[in-house]
Amino acid sequence: MSKNGYLQIHDPLKPRGQAVGIDLGTTNSLVASVVHGKPRCVPVDEGDSLLLPSVVHYAKDGGVVVGARARRLAPEHPTDTISSVKRFMGRSPDDAETRKLGHYRFVPGSKVVRFDVAGGTPVNPIEVSGEILRALKRRAEAHFSTKVEQAVITVPAYFDDAQRQATKDAGRLAGLEVLRLLNEPTAAALAYGLDKGSQGTFAVYDLGGGTFDVSILKLVDGVFEVKSTGGDSALGGDDFDRAIAQHVLQAMGASEPSPALVAEVLAASRKAKEALTDAPEVELSAGGHTQVVKRADFDAWIQPLVQKTGVVCRRALKDAGVAAGELDGVILVGGATRVPAVRRYVAELFGREPLGDIDPDQVVALGAAVQADLLTNADRQDEVLLLDVIPLSLGLETMGGIVEKLIQRNSTIPTAAAQVFTTFKDGQTGLDVHVVQGERELVEDNRSLARFTLSGIPALAAGMARVEVRFQVDADGILSVSAKEQSTGATQSITVKPSHGLSDEEIEQMLLDSIDHAEEDIQARQVREQRVDAERVLAEAERQLREHGSLLQDGERAAIDAAMARVRELSAGNDHLKLKEAVHALDETSRPFIERVMNQAITQVVGGHSVEEF
Amino acid sequence: MRTHFDVFGLPRAYDVDVPALEKQYRELSLQLHPDRVAQADARERLKALEGTTALNEAFKTLKDPVRRAFYLLKLHGIDLDREDAGAQKDMPLEFLEEVMELREALDTAMEKKDLPRARAMATDVEARRKAALGEAAGALRALEGGGPGADGQALVKKASHALGRVRYFTRFLEQVDAFEEESLS
Repeated sequence: MSKNGYLQIHDPLKPRGQAVGIDLGTTNSLVASVVHGKPRCVPVDEGDSLLLPSVVHYAKDGGVVVGARARRLAPEHPTDTISSVKRFMGRSPDDAETRKLGHYRFVPGSKVVRFDVAGGTPVNPIEVSGEILRALKRRAEAHFSTKVEQAVITVPAYFDDAQRQATKDAGRLAGLEVLRLLNEPTAAALAYGLDKGSQGTFAVYDLGGGTFDVSILKLVDGVFEVKSTGGDSALGGDDFDRAIAQHVLQAMGASEPSPALVAEVLAASRKAKEALTDAPEVELSAGGHTQVVKRADFDAWIQPLVQKTGVVCRRALKDAGVAAGELDGVILVGGATRVPAVRRYVAELFGREPLGDIDPDQVVALGAAVQADLLTNADRQDEVLLLDVIPLSLGLETMGGIVEKLIQRNSTIPTAAAQVFTTFKDGQTGLDVHVVQGERELVEDNRSLARFTLSGIPALAAGMARVEVRFQVDADGILSVSAKEQSTGATQSITVKPSHGLSDEEIEQMLLDSIDHAEEDIQARQVREQRVDAERVLAEAERQLREHGSLLQDGERAAIDAAMARVRELSAGNDHLKLKEAVHALDETSRPFIERVMNQAITQVVGGHSVEEF
Repeated sequence: MRTHFDVFGLPRAYDVDVPALEKQYRELSLQLHPDRVAQADARERLKALEGTTALNEAFKTLKDPVRRAFYLLKLHGIDLDREDAGAQKDMPLEFLEEVMELREALDTAMEKKDLPRARAMATDVEARRKAALGEAAGALRALEGGGPGADGQALVKKASHALGRVRYFTRFLEQVDAFEEESLS
């Protein structure tokens, strides 16, 4: 028999609090959690909005604002307000995606993207994403009145290794243990699958703010098996805004618009796009210019973008070995699937009306919450399992700049591959290895993930030393590398230098910096959290005393009252450690009494047997 | 050495009941997957990672008749996936002639951007690939059956030659696919 429901007082054995699912989106972010067996999104912004705009504003005084308020500050402070930061995760300053129409000031000459913002220190995309995650974490903590330390964070299925690693680092920076990086389409399928208990093969079409994904999944006997996935991590609803903005800027004759004008026109374009979902035409005004945008014009402007998704979908179907007619359903995910032209296109492409009964904005976060619950709740583990795939092939550079693929795209993860390298010169003690990700034949057409040197190879004749390098991809889709010299069995030291993004040392430093700067902040938060905890424990103790006072034994009341007074006294102060101790002491003091209360309750339920018999 | 067959507790054989294998794969995944031990200590999690990695590799290999055939041949000491393998150079002369002839015909079709011609070739090569796989399967069945009088070495050689052709035809078909995708986009 479960004791749950009887003993509601502070439980020291459950220090981890509520596990949550987070949809870290390009435009909006959400946090959800399973409560009483149902996933629910948590209000995280003004007006109890479930959507937190993924916008971070850096103020001159060093303060950071996240969400709707930050978005309102964007027109006035375009370069100090970062939106759509997800586009920059794991990217280099030279990437085409980084150079798209925007209004940021980048720090020049840096090998990673750094935004020059107010407040003195430039920030990188991991830090900006970390702020969004931290805001979600705090607001969820306030909502549940408990700590939130474990999260499943979703990523586009088509994210490469560098982008996944960057997302995981952002989670760490926000003080979250990242239980799993979950692919967004898979999360959506999980949200649908559990609601309907369905079996069959499904396509998930996920067009978000900045990324497009498609996954083909098969659900049999509680196992979700992803058969294939495809996408474009640089295509989304933001590009629709940009398509409108480009035409508007052109009509205005603004050949070199200021960041402020670009920000204003982009914001007006986004509004126009949203309004065109229901209206056949809208009036757009920005920068003193007004024009009517017809839905037919808009449809024509985005047509090439929408068609790009079709090519990706057809390849995913082919990779899965599934014909469009064999699908049991098509699931729509992402705000950009509200655009009527997109819906029409999807229906035509798959030859069936897509499902959209779960809010496309919420469905990913809800699925992530379900996965977080599955991972942390032992009672639920037999229900369902996700088997996901790696979206892009992993390979090595060989002679002549040709890629040799080691792990094929759409391989089920976790997966591993090994490659044996031999020396080509007498006495050679080092070997350079270059890991790339992508489908193209030439190294330069793929994404460079890492370069490393195998050192300490025993000096032997050419071809005699054999080093086996093992590539392991874990369930998050993240790669790690190890190596062993076969003749001596010596394990090699490998220093992996990420080609883009930050090294481990840089991440460590960021972590330390954030702790330095945020120390006071953390202190204040811990006091707040501990106070919330204390209030709950006090309220519960008072209730038990009121309802079950007859179960008190001699002297107990006085001891509990004293412990409660101590908690009240320290709640007014600022020392969270002392307060924590007092709460613990109250727990200990009242435990024998609470146990009697619980025992009585159980006895009443089971009719006269004592707890020991169960 | 633990083989992919051992992972599923199956006898080593060319023929595998794929629907039964899929069912068993799901059951084993439910037991072994890292998600089952997300809250356990690092050692348990590493064990789950390694166990599932081996399971995924075994499943990928055994569910596909082509991969399965290459794997069985590898268990007999011939690894056709290694570029430097002696088996590559050991192919009979007729095969090299066949390769040259196909190569030339495809190059011509691609130069002329003649998609229908390339598609027709693909249909023909697909049939040849199927026949070669059938031949390899026959040899591997006889090998694994291990009846008295079975000439092991001759059978390995036969399977190796047939699979060498399968491998070439597969690459050829991939090239036609790439050409088709390029012509359509």
